[in-house]
Amino acid sequence: MKTQRDRTGAFTRRGLGLAAAGVAASVLLGPSASWAQEKTSANLAMIGEPQSLDPMASTADLVSIIMQHVYEPLFTFDSHSAVQPMLAAKSPEISADGKTYTIEIRRGVKFHNGRELDSEDVVASLKRWVDLTPRGKALAKSITSISAKGPSTVEIVLSEPQPALLAHLALPSGFAVIMAKESIANPLVEFIGTGPYKFRERKPDQYVVLVKNEAYSSRGEPGDGYAGKREAKIDELRFIPVPNANTRVEGVIAGQYQFADQLPVESYKKVSTASGVNAVLTMPYGFPYIPTNTKQGPMADPKIRQAFQMALNTEELLLAAFGEPKFFTVTGEHFPKGSPFNSTADVDKYNKGDPDGAKKLLAEAKYDGSPIRILNSKQYDFHHRMALMMAEQLKAAGFKVSLDVVDWSTLVQRRGDPALWDVYITHSAFMPDPMLSPPQLGDGAPGWWKTPAKDAALAAFNGESDPAKRGPLWGKVQQVIYDEVPYIRVGNFAALSGVSGKMKGYTPMMMPAFWNVELTK
Amino acid sequence: MWLKLGQRLVSLMIVMFLVATMVFFLTRLAPGDPAALMLGDQATAEDIAQLRQVYGLDKPILVQFVLWLKEIASGNLGHSIFLQRPVIQAIAERAEPTFFLALFSVTIAALVGIPAGIVSAVWRGRPVDQIVSGLAMLAANIPSFWLGLIFIQLFAVRLGWFPVAGYGEPGAPFVERLAHLALPATVLGIVNSALIVRFTRASLLDVLSDDYVRTARSKGLSEARVVLRHAFGNALVPIVTVVALTAALLVGGAIVTETVFGLPGIGNLVVSAVLRRDYPVIQGALIVVAAVYVLINLLTDIIYTLADPRVRY
Repeated sequence: MKTQRDRTGAFTRRGLGLAAAGVAASVLLGPSASWAQEKTSANLAMIGEPQSLDPMASTADLVSIIMQHVYEPLFTFDSHSAVQPMLAAKSPEISADGKTYTIEIRRGVKFHNGRELDSEDVVASLKRWVDLTPRGKALAKSITSISAKGPSTVEIVLSEPQPALLAHLALPSGFAVIMAKESIANPLVEFIGTGPYKFRERKPDQYVVLVKNEAYSSRGEPGDGYAGKREAKIDELRFIPVPNANTRVEGVIAGQYQFADQLPVESYKKVSTASGVNAVLTMPYGFPYIPTNTKQGPMADPKIRQAFQMALNTEELLLAAFGEPKFFTVTGEHFPKGSPFNSTADVDKYNKGDPDGAKKLLAEAKYDGSPIRILNSKQYDFHHRMALMMAEQLKAAGFKVSLDVVDWSTLVQRRGDPALWDVYITHSAFMPDPMLSPPQLGDGAPGWWKTPAKDAALAAFNGESDPAKRGPLWGKVQQVIYDEVPYIRVGNFAALSGVSGKMKGYTPMMMPAFWNVELTK
Repeated sequence: MWLKLGQRLVSLMIVMFLVATMVFFLTRLAPGDPAALMLGDQATAEDIAQLRQVYGLDKPILVQFVLWLKEIASGNLGHSIFLQRPVIQAIAERAEPTFFLALFSVTIAALVGIPAGIVSAVWRGRPVDQIVSGLAMLAANIPSFWLGLIFIQLFAVRLGWFPVAGYGEPGAPFVERLAHLALPATVLGIVNSALIVRFTRASLLDVLSDDYVRTARSKGLSEARVVLRHAFGNALVPIVTVVALTAALLVGGAIVTETVFGLPGIGNLVVSAVLRRDYPVIQGALIVVAAVYVLINLLTDIIYTLADPRVRY
């Protein structure tokens, strides 16, 4: 755009007028349409605004869903939940005593600022992960050192074996991603990773924009789950917060969004019958579970907890929560068939729905009629629906029940005080390794489960590094869980997403990923 | 008048102090802990305590209050725990959609409500009055989220005339951003017009039976001139009040409508902050909204003096 000048070089009034009109037109009408035709962009409707874009500063799934495109971990999970290398060149060498992990890093991988990844970046990132994230802090007790052994080798030395270490490093929640060391700060200001997409812009409550990383260095293996080859086939990803679920439904049907996350199950028929959009189920997506207060109150008596377990018909709870069987599975096995941790140990205690048996156990326990306080939140509708059904089942078994319905923030605070609840309802995303969730398997989580049987079973399980032997050892832990009832794992549930018919190559996963996905015209 | 206005300003400062006090203590009275929420399921009690210390949440509540008042007095609304940015910045980023949504909604509400109210009053008891009053009753009782979803279904999904939700794509020009306000502004305009219809009708009916109206008619003036020139001007004060109050409420954020249409406005900001217990944002946003509300009321009082010369300060 040129501005007219008169012979003396001064701006003429007409020239300024034209310039002003030009500026106004460009501001009002925006970039030229030709740009939009050349580039592909996907509008991805997410459930809300991410708390942060620092995947170590938050354990929220939404943060990881977005930033897994920007940052990559050393290891990741394939479609069978097995740990595979990502920025690591191959599986690590583990010393015979299971305490030293030597990890070779892929060469030639470049950060978004053009610098090559080296072992110093990995050390700095892992140290930050240990300092900042709850999982890293929990592991810190067992980590003696993290150090560089040459430009592309990192060594992690442990004080005791941690067979779940690689799963922790791979888990995309409080994510152990590798950042350019010069960008590391608290809080993060620059988001410099190695992923197939680069961070471009965030406008809170409007969008987070990622753009294709043209210099991405992909792995050679075929894509499999989060592992293997990653290719950015869409030029621009726009993660748009759309907290209202109905708006996400209408938006994906209207074609405004190419992907809509976590739609209400009630919208399945509408989405699946709409033209140009597919209803996609991710199963298992997660599991609802009900921790019991083993420290204080009536549930501190193991027999009363067993009566509680005996009284529950989990199939009814899941029906109340999710409506149709296609959205859940009734299973007492904590891990599905195909997982190394699949076990049928004590599953006959699951889904009993036996009020008479529960009454008998309550009589043996000399239950004094103290009300069981069910802490739950309407913020997750399915939690509350399960609470209502559960209350009726417990009443039928002779329990006295009180429903404490609070907002989620209050629940999170109250569950930290053993004087305020007896059971509460929550859920977790499905995790590939038992030690990743629920937190009651660790120490100090609400419920405060700590018994000799738990310690013995978990010591045996966590002391074994050989993946082939860990599977059967999990069966022993599952058995103790059914015996002592620190929580009830209700079953598995699916997540419903709406995916545009133009979006090709999308694979349903717990954390939706958009590499290897393309948009057709 | 200036003395009176000065006195009003002093009383407004007192109101703002009371609002600040109530906002702070009511926010803290609600159970919930931003640190526990932020850290998630895997956090230990020590992690939570550490984060509470970082944000000064471990200090006695009165100390927190005094520190916050000092910040407010120096013009600093604090720093968001979750958004990791100054509260004033978070509010400023969301001011545009909220401001224009309020502006357009009030304009639509006034353009629909005032003429409808006049028609209803002039033809009182006739079928047209019954139809207008019935529609106004209907509009007043329609939940805005329901009407919003119906509008989305009809105008965005079926007809494809408007976007379903949001506030424009990245880099969208101003005109495109405003186009995203068409449906939500119409919904809010319709819902809020109901009150204006009823106030206009009632206010006009009051003055239509006054002596000066009869005099104007006896002078042979046309009915339109009598109603619009003589009666309407004198019926204006309550109408201005209800329009101004509607505007003030909408500037505070049309929470439900913003949520349904995915608008990144102040209402959405406050709701998210309440759910996350992001105290600095809740407190800062409510202070700003209260200040806007109070200022609009002050402006309304000034407009009274223009609309009705009998009103003096």
